[in-house]
Amino acid sequence: MAHHVTSQDIPANGEQIAKKDLSKVKLISLLIFVAGAIASFLLFSNETWGAGYAYSWLFAFIFFITLTLGGVFWTTLHHVTNSGWGVSIRRIMENLGFVFPFFAVIAIPLMIPSVQDDLYEWMNRHRYVQQTVEAVEVKVDGKKGYEAKVVAGTEDLDEHAPGGAYKSPEKAQLYATHEPYDHLLKVKKWYMSLENWLTRVILFFVVLGAGIFFLRKFSIDQDKDPNPTTRRLILTRKLSCAVMPFFAVIATFIAFDFMMGTDYKWFSTMYGVWFFAGCALNSMAVLILTLTWLRSKGYLTTVTSQEHYHIMGKLMHAFVIFWAYVSFSQFMLIWYANITEETTYFLLRNSSDGSVNWNLWSTLLVFLHFALPFAVLLPHYMKKKVKFVVPICIYLLVMHILDLYIAIIPERGPSLSVMNKFAGHEGEILLTAPHKAYLGDIVAFITVGAFFVFVFVRNLGSANTYPNRDPRILESANLHN
Amino acid sequence: MSTKVKRVYGYLAEFESASALYKGAEKVRDAGFKKWDCYSSYPIHGLDDAMGVKRSILPYFVFFGGSTGLLTGFSLAFITQVLIYPTIVQDKPANIFTTAAFFPIMFELTILFSGFTVLFCVLGLMGLPRLNHPLFASRQFNRVTDDGFFIAIEARDPNFSAEETKSLLEEAGGSNIELVEED
Repeated sequence: MAHHVTSQDIPANGEQIAKKDLSKVKLISLLIFVAGAIASFLLFSNETWGAGYAYSWLFAFIFFITLTLGGVFWTTLHHVTNSGWGVSIRRIMENLGFVFPFFAVIAIPLMIPSVQDDLYEWMNRHRYVQQTVEAVEVKVDGKKGYEAKVVAGTEDLDEHAPGGAYKSPEKAQLYATHEPYDHLLKVKKWYMSLENWLTRVILFFVVLGAGIFFLRKFSIDQDKDPNPTTRRLILTRKLSCAVMPFFAVIATFIAFDFMMGTDYKWFSTMYGVWFFAGCALNSMAVLILTLTWLRSKGYLTTVTSQEHYHIMGKLMHAFVIFWAYVSFSQFMLIWYANITEETTYFLLRNSSDGSVNWNLWSTLLVFLHFALPFAVLLPHYMKKKVKFVVPICIYLLVMHILDLYIAIIPERGPSLSVMNKFAGHEGEILLTAPHKAYLGDIVAFITVGAFFVFVFVRNLGSANTYPNRDPRILESANLHN
Repeated sequence: MSTKVKRVYGYLAEFESASALYKGAEKVRDAGFKKWDCYSSYPIHGLDDAMGVKRSILPYFVFFGGSTGLLTGFSLAFITQVLIYPTIVQDKPANIFTTAAFFPIMFELTILFSGFTVLFCVLGLMGLPRLNHPLFASRQFNRVTDDGFFIAIEARDPNFSAEETKSLLEEAGGSNIELVEED
């Protein structure tokens, strides 16, 4: 065992990252983000590219928000389970989680109606029906019913880009059209309405943002408190118990509202759990990479050791298995039941759309995202040794890109509004590769990634590297497992 | 009194506390003994390092046990459901790509075989079950399940010698040193 850490080794006012270590990364990431934001603005406003780019932005947004959500998860889990092992790396978790509220900025494009009309067909339909259809009450054989009457002046409204604000039609309007898919929308209207959607998205950021803000604030306040008691320890534990259910609900409904909404006919109860598995697994990879980066700069070396790597590696390994378990469960139940509404998701992803063989990538995912990392992470030295665990973390993040890419991007192909705009003439399906739509994916990914790095590094620099006055910092520093 | 020659099991020494046992164990380890053990009524953190115990080979057994389970599960399902008697449900194909349907069986058998391997290999590596242990002949050893801390060095160890081992245990902080003979 290495040197036993005592309170003599912990600086009274904690350890701060020197400005020079961060300023370069901050500046570069900010410049990339600004350049990317300008490029994104041009792409969004481009007549043909904008349609495909909405999917690119959604993909990048979802990828990086899973990492921040994972940060929130590990922070709350650490408090809820009264853990001692991770006190010295808890600040990294808090800093990662506190990127989440800033992601409201990245969500703004997805809240603009002209971007939404490429992504969410149910919103198009809602807006179109709301503006064009007037429900006229009629009686047939003594039964009440509705007939549709076209609102004057709306005959030329584009079905795939109806414009309009956050206003859903009345149920009567959806009745009146007598279209089968409008019936589905009518039944789902209690959940899927534009007003509700907007309210939910705002609540996601406000509620969970407040939760992680206060968890981090209490933790940072402890660093300077001349009389650091266990008061905040108990307080954050109680707060975490309150935040955790909200986290579960919000993570699930972020997946539902942003991703599952791209195909309003489809549903899967496993979707939220699958999304959460990606959050927990890949944020742990980010935590390990950040810890390694900070240690290479000479920070956190007194309070962290190989034992921390071992525990984090074990948690990552566990979530590799958990990811496989839930994504396979989702696939197998749908595949077995073979119900038309459910199989559409996998029909799209288990076939080739003419430009990308999604089936090949979906099949490879089983081996590359589960079998390989599972086997590689089995021996203890793979989790303990930095030179092994760092490449594995990077590899898992790449696999997470693939996982989410398969979940989001195939929807771009058969999307009616995208077909309409991207192809130039109606009826042509957008094929990702020949239209070079993947270039937009790269631009969006780099832009959002730069924003993520900028905010994360800013958070890291704005507080001590570890909670130096936490009552259990020594327990964590002398961790042995 | 019996005249039968008894076989010596080894020396048994008592230690005052867990930390005394820990320090004593480090001394015995450094003297190069292999056939010896510490006895305590509860687990002591870091004692395996102090004793110089190597990592168990159990994980390798479990890996092969689990792999056997995986392959058994796969062949059991594949041979019966695809090769011998293909089960066609809802016009789904019966071929290698049907493997998704076999995953639960493969998973369960991997767990089952791993579990059995753990159980039987742990018992095997520990030499259990056994009916008796030579140390039970010592009266003071009864306290090991209550408040006693002991080190026993076996006579089988090539480094064992009647005088030097005894003085080593004394030096290491042991008291009530007793030569235990097998019944």
